[in-house]
Order: sequence, then structure tokens, then C-alpha cells
Amino acid sequence: MQLSGLVDLVIIGLFRGGLYALMAVGLALVFGVMNIAQFAHGEFYMIGAYVAFFGAAMLGVNPLIAWAMAVVVVFVVGVLVERSVFLPLRIRSHEGWVMNAFLLTVGISFVIQNIALAWLGPSYRGITEYWPGNISITPTLNVSADRVAAAVAAIVTIVALWLFLKSTRIGRAIRAVAQDERGATLVGINLSRIHWFTFGLSTALAGLAGAVLLPMTQAYPSVGFKPMVLSWYVVMLVGMGSISGAVVGGFIIGILESFSYYYLGGGWQDVVVLSILILILLFKPSGLFGAEVKGIWER
Amino acid sequence: MNEINGRSPTAPKNRWLDKVQSSWRLLGFSPIGLLMLVLIGISPLFIKNDYGLRLMVVCLMIGTQAMAFDLTIGFINVVNFGFAAFVGIGAYTSALLAVDLGISPWIGLILGTLVAGLVGFLLGVLTLRLRGIYAAIMAWFVGLALMSLVTVNVGITRGPLGLVVPLFYDRADQILYFYIIYPIMIGTLVVLRLLTRSHFGLAFRAIGGNLGAARASGINPVKYLVMNWTIACSLAGLTGVFYASYFGILTPAMMHTKQTVEILAIAYIGGRGTLWGGLLSAFLVIPIFEYLRGLLAYRWIIYGIFLIITMIFYPGGLVGVVFWIGNSIKRLLSRRNKGS
Repeated sequence: MQLSGLVDLVIIGLFRGGLYALMAVGLALVFGVMNIAQFAHGEFYMIGAYVAFFGAAMLGVNPLIAWAMAVVVVFVVGVLVERSVFLPLRIRSHEGWVMNAFLLTVGISFVIQNIALAWLGPSYRGITEYWPGNISITPTLNVSADRVAAAVAAIVTIVALWLFLKSTRIGRAIRAVAQDERGATLVGINLSRIHWFTFGLSTALAGLAGAVLLPMTQAYPSVGFKPMVLSWYVVMLVGMGSISGAVVGGFIIGILESFSYYYLGGGWQDVVVLSILILILLFKPSGLFGAEVKGIWER
Repeated sequence: MNEINGRSPTAPKNRWLDKVQSSWRLLGFSPIGLLMLVLIGISPLFIKNDYGLRLMVVCLMIGTQAMAFDLTIGFINVVNFGFAAFVGIGAYTSALLAVDLGISPWIGLILGTLVAGLVGFLLGVLTLRLRGIYAAIMAWFVGLALMSLVTVNVGITRGPLGLVVPLFYDRADQILYFYIIYPIMIGTLVVLRLLTRSHFGLAFRAIGGNLGAARASGINPVKYLVMNWTIACSLAGLTGVFYASYFGILTPAMMHTKQTVEILAIAYIGGRGTLWGGLLSAFLVIPIFEYLRGLLAYRWIIYGIFLIITMIFYPGGLVGVVFWIGNSIKRLLSRRNKGS
């Protein structure tokens, strides 16, 4: 294979990876701050895709407005879920919070998916494209305008999120809670407010991913499973709760996938990515950039 | 001299009776529970139609799976999120042996259990050294990888087209299958009951409750965690073999995370760490859902909300409700006795 072909594969991988990174950052954020291993992430992706579909296809608004609608709606749904489900659990649960919260997200995923199924039916809804046309990146590679737009949206959002966490007051508060919950409470951070805001933010990222990928993945009740699994690969690869690592990991998984797709054909990319991931995790359980995972023998 | 503390020593010839008695006490079936099990056992005498019996068989199978699932989540507090994949390993082992080598599914029952247990053991050894959610997510990933492997190896497993598996019997009488799964269920219940009521069960609970304290009292956590995990996985494989040779067709979809979630829901609604709760909720939930079929997807929403409410507000599940009713009746009776 020629060098230009390899470059093409890497570029395709980067395009895929941007969106995985976007989803994975949401997962890492909610795990880092609230210790919730989010299994319902894909369902927020699905809601985002549906909202964008109704915005773009039914109301016929500009795609950017449709995306913004998706982000706002998913944010609100996320906050409602946090207030109605995790708040009562936090009040009642004393031990085994991580496992209980994880199982709870499984239940949430089940409910949201079936609400979509009952309400909108199992049919695929989608649009063919937000913006028509292709953009040629290298002489041998043409990428549809939508994919470019999706990648740009992902990168812009990640940079914006980074700035937000770095330099605003509430962003700093979120990072403080992620580092030490008790310490954050001591300096006067309202924990409850940080929790609902973070959860909403994390789900909004998933919703944005669903909205921008609508032409590629369509919208149907179980559309979120695949992206959710992929973002979990990313999070486990780099270490749970590492937000900056999740960005890098997204691109790694994207490139791995595009290569295995090219060399082995469809269907195998899951097996290849998972095998590599499992091998890495067996030797370095904390992931590539993660903090140390505690073993049973440690204190 | 023979009498110590006024108790006469047991005569040697009665020792076996004592043993039976003490192991019976260890098993701890209440009379009502025993009656229920016997009633389920003789139910084919009353249920004559095929549809009803089929429902009974499915309830027994799901109930057995829920009990095996509960052994991990209810006792050591680690969720086996690849449970459906272990069911699939058992099923595909027996099915491929039967299809390619002509080995009867009866032998498959043993081999499928062993293979699923072996894979579970290896996974447990590799992942259970680490704390928290790690083992659950790894089991999930391994389950997903196995499902994709089965899906893409079309030459061996026929992939999504489905593998046609020889049945246990040539005839399709439901009653024959009922009396395969019924002993499996009873066996599972007895084994798990004995296990969890022995010192192993105590160790499981200790590890699940507070790892530090368990270690301080001299429990080797890895040993018990792996043991628990292996037993649960081999039981999953056993029910998988039954699944394969009962339905006669296997698709990779049976290993999907969705199936794990369904078992999880049944086990949770029954009550965590109770074992028979899973069986009880299988016998309640599955027939109710068959009955409510007209509601379509709305029944799943109700189900899910019910699951969430159970998780947050009532971790005791159905078993908790049963005990609450029993206690209230007792209190009512004692109050009446006092009054008269």
C-alpha cells in the first residue's frame, strides 16, 4: 500500500475519532466528578439525533440551530434525570455507590430507549445531508461536507469545553469537585449544583454528537448503543476519569477502527479494537493516562 | 460419666440422621417455600396446554439464570455484565459439538458448563484482582468481543443466520423439557443455597460488604471472588446449553447486552442477595408481561420505571415485600393472642 493511502486512512480515522472523543469526554467528566459509570450515554445521543431530525427535517431550520436545539433539549433532559434519579440515590445510598449508580444508569437506558420505541416507533428517521457536496482533502480522498462539519464541531466543542473548565469559575469548581469532593465542599462549593450541571453538560455532549452525526447514523431507538460502547472503549483505554486523555483516546480508537476496517473488512473492527484494548488493560489496568486503579491487595 | 451437662450423647447409629437434619437446616427451606417448589414440580399435571407449559419452562430457565446472576451481584457486589455472553459460550459449545461432531446435547450439558466455567475462571483471575467497576466493564467488553466473534465467523457459527441445533428429544412435547430444566433449577438452588449458607457465603458477603474488614479477618479476597465468579459463569453456561437444545436455534443476539440487562432486572426486582428472589420474580414478571402483551412497548417502560424505583427506594425487592407481609401477619396474630 502506498503512503498516500496510509495518510488517507489516518485522516478517516481522525474524522471518526473526533466524535468518539466528544462522547468520551462526556463519559470521563461524569465519572470523574460524580463517580457514575454512565451506561445511558447512548440514549442521550439518541435524543440528540431525534431533536436534530425534527429540527432540520420537520421545522426546516438551519442545521446549526438544529444542533443548538439538540444540545439544549438534551441538557434539560440530563438535568431532569439527575435530579429525579441520582439525587434520591445519593441521599439513600451509603455503600457501593459506584456499582449502584452504574446499575441505575442501566435502568435509565432501558426506560429512555423504550419511551422512544413506544412514542416514535422502531423506524429509521434521518436526513441525507445537512450540507451537500464533498470536500477533497488529499488527491485520493473525498470526504462529505457533513463529515467535515461534524469533525469541526467536535473540535470546536472540545476546545470550548477545555477553556470553560480551565478559566471560568464554575469550570474550576467542577475540577475541584473531581479532585476532592470533601475539600470542595469545605471551600464553599455547592456540591449539588455542580452535580446537576456536570451531568447536564456530559449528556449535552452526547446529544451534540448524535445531532451532528444524524446524516451518517440516522435516528432510531437503539442508535446510541454503538457510539456508547465506542466511547466506553476510549474511556477504558485512557483510564477512567481522565478528561484530557479521553480526547487523545478518541483519535486512537478512530484510527484503529479505520485501519482494521480497511484491512479485515466490516464486522472485524470490533474484534480487533476490543482485543487490543483487552490486552492493554491486562498489562496496564489503569489505562494509558489514568491514575492508578486500586488492586484488592492495596489499602 | 456419660452424661455431660445433662445431655445424653448421640448414639453412633443415629449420626447420619443428625447429618441429614443439620444439612437440611443449612438448606433452610421454609415449609411454604418447599410447598411452592413441589407445586411447580407437579404443575404439568394441571397445565395441559403447550402454551402454558412453554411459559413455565421459560420462567424456570430465566429464574435459574437470575439466581446464578444474583450469586455475583448480590453477594460479592460485582456485576457480571457479560452474563449473556457466558450463557452464549455454553450454548455455542454444546451446539457446535453437536452439529460438527455429533455429540449428544446431554454430554453437551456437562461440556458447555465446563467451558463456560473455564472462560469465567480465566477472566476472573485476570480482572478480579482489581477493585470496583473494573471487572464489570471488562466482563462487558469480553462479552461484546465474543458476540462479534460469533457474528463474523460465519463459516463456523453461521453468524446472524442462526445455527440450527439438535434438540434433546425427537419429540417436541413441552413436558419432557420441563423435566430437564426443573432438576437443573432445583440443583442450582440447592447448590447455591448450601454454598451461600456455608462459610464461603459468609466470606462472599464480607468481601461484598467491606473489603478492608474482610481482609483484616483473614479472608483471601481473590480466592473467594474468583470462586464465586467461576461458579456463576458455569451455571450460566449450563442454562445456555439448555437454551440451545430447547429452542433449537442460536443467533449471536442471545449474547447481546440487552439479555444481560433483562436477567439483571429480574434478579433485582426479586431482591439482591436472596437467590430465590430471582426465581420468584421470574414466575411473577414473565407471565404478567405475557398477559400485558397488548400494551406493546409501554409495558417495558413500566418495567424499567419499576426497576429504577426498586433500585433506589426498595433494594429488598420482592423478597423484602414477602418478608414484610409475613412479619405483619405474625405481629397481627401475636397481638390477637395477647388480646384474648
